[in-house]
Amino acid sequence: MKRFVPFVLLAVLVPAITSIVLAQQPSQATLRISAGDRPVATVTLSGQLYFNAGDVVTALGGTITPDSTGFRVTLNNVVAAFGPDSRFGVVRDDLIEMPAPPIVVDGKPYVPWQFFQGFFKRAIDNEAVWDPATRVLAVRAAQRNVVSVQASVTNVQGISKIVLSLSGPAEYGIVKQPGLYTVAFRTPIHAPFAEQSVEDPYVQKLTFAGNELRIQLSAPEVVGDAYKLENPFRIVIDFRKGAAPAPGVPPPAVSRPVDQPGIRTIVIDPGHGGKEVGAIGPSGMYEKDATLAVCRKLALSLGSKLGARVVLTRDDDSVISLDQRTAIANQYKADLFLSVHMNAAVVKGAHGSETYFLSLDASDELAKKAAEGENAVSAAAQPTTSSDLKLILWDLAQQEYLNESSKFASAIQEEMNRATGVQNRGVKQAPFKVLVGATMPAALVEVAFITNPEEESKIKSDAYQNMVVDAITRAVQRYKTDYETRIGVAQPPPAAAPATTTTTTATRTGT
Amino acid sequence: MRRVVLGIALLLLVGSCKKPTRLMSNLAVANKVSVRSVRLYFQGPDMLLAAETRNVSLPENPAGALSVVVRELLKGSANSTVARSFPADTVLRAAYLLPDGTVFVDLGGPTLTQGWGTGSHEELMAVYSVVWTVTANFTEAKRVRLLLNGEPAETLAGHVALDRPLRAAEWVVDPRRR
Repeated sequence: MKRFVPFVLLAVLVPAITSIVLAQQPSQATLRISAGDRPVATVTLSGQLYFNAGDVVTALGGTITPDSTGFRVTLNNVVAAFGPDSRFGVVRDDLIEMPAPPIVVDGKPYVPWQFFQGFFKRAIDNEAVWDPATRVLAVRAAQRNVVSVQASVTNVQGISKIVLSLSGPAEYGIVKQPGLYTVAFRTPIHAPFAEQSVEDPYVQKLTFAGNELRIQLSAPEVVGDAYKLENPFRIVIDFRKGAAPAPGVPPPAVSRPVDQPGIRTIVIDPGHGGKEVGAIGPSGMYEKDATLAVCRKLALSLGSKLGARVVLTRDDDSVISLDQRTAIANQYKADLFLSVHMNAAVVKGAHGSETYFLSLDASDELAKKAAEGENAVSAAAQPTTSSDLKLILWDLAQQEYLNESSKFASAIQEEMNRATGVQNRGVKQAPFKVLVGATMPAALVEVAFITNPEEESKIKSDAYQNMVVDAITRAVQRYKTDYETRIGVAQPPPAAAPATTTTTTATRTGT
Repeated sequence: MRRVVLGIALLLLVGSCKKPTRLMSNLAVANKVSVRSVRLYFQGPDMLLAAETRNVSLPENPAGALSVVVRELLKGSANSTVARSFPADTVLRAAYLLPDGTVFVDLGGPTLTQGWGTGSHEELMAVYSVVWTVTANFTEAKRVRLLLNGEPAETLAGHVALDRPLRAAEWVVDPRRR
């Protein structure tokens, strides 16, 4: 029996050893591109297949260069970077997620095929597809999936709202003509019907023709504004009565901070809600409850004292995503957006109020992304317009929002200081998610520190809440008067006293 | 005979064990460690970040050193009166430095995962304590993006947008203790 032991051992060991060795041995796959098939070196390590990045990228005319911590890939003037310490590559500001970090073999970088999938989509609008059965990595023009569209029309508060629910993301452009609004999909769609009449004050008929949805409007002066929501992907178009467009005048390529002069619509955002309770006070008060209480009173105050149309992003204890809050403001074409929060600090005795507006880094990136979206939307309507010019116009519009946001935030902070007598913590800039994407002057006020027992106690009281509401109302009134005077739709008040508190710099004032 | 067979088997086994070393040889990072003085940023009594200097044994390659430095930050200040910037159960899952100067810091832990209930000030201090600590100690690091449990996160506590890399904002740090 003992004689057999070595053979048994060999029988077990040899296949195992062979498989380990084979797993480490380099192999080849085929790269299939429009110019033909090429061999590409591959390596398998711990069950993960890696492709020689240089083989693939250079076959497509790109370059790959090492640097101190990884590699830089350039293709079609788009640069991506990756390193062996991360399973994320970066291209511009996006991430390319890979199942495992790249590896380096004999000085050459090897990556999972998912890197090519992420990079080629952004660099050359191609898709990379790996077929393990044939060992072919195909790089080809992106095959856009057909998306299903569902359409609904409702009329809410005098606005006719068409919601197009899509089974996935889609590219589209919008063409506005008097009496007709066309959504031109660049992604193939599956239409729910060919034609449907609608009982609605502004929308008469929906017609799907090929890849277009034509929306027949009841009158030439009906205007529509479209925006998209994600997860799930939806295109929402609000129709309302507006001024009739002059014949031959195209719609503006870039929306301005306000479509109609003056501050008419204000969206107030009570911070947090539902399971997102926010900060918690020493006696157990939730930030979400404090913000809702203040905002309900603020909405009544702004409505009655300024005659403004005021919309709350939530009027109950519901969860509203941060994106959705800004989307609501954009949807209502708000002229001002204010998010109300209570602050928290681990530093004992922290107290006071502070007001924020969006920081430049965040808004710069937002502007670029928004400009890309705006370009996509208006391309069908105005194919001759320079995208560079649009980017500049959008940047200017964004800068204008920021300038106005700074003024708005300063007015709030000054009135809060004056009314409450709490410590002035100043006006600051921060990349707050709820301010990103607002296409109007926007600010976030931290009323007081709910983590401070004294301030928590104040926040609970009606008297303090009313004081805060009065202060913010005065600030909005001040900003409204100032703004409307500057744009020439209001006369300056006879006793337009200059602000008495310290004014702000762009980044921080007060202590 | 048995000895010969066992010998061959052993040789094959040893040979196969060497292969990964050859394959990964270019990945092998210099494992040299040296003591460096690093600056860690914690919130001071004036509610701004302030640098605290600490001597730490660091691997010489930045990728390895990054994780060590961020873990030091998460340990908290040497001064027991200075509060932690992050919940005590926060862990560093990984930290990566990419060639374009973007650092990815992947955080985890029960509180951050289940939803950190705090205000914007605390969240700003926590996020920027990482950004400042990383960019102050690694010249290659230009900006920092935080991930949560290996995934892109919207925010840590409902305020600061984490869907983009952040640069070191000036106003969050005490200019006298930078």
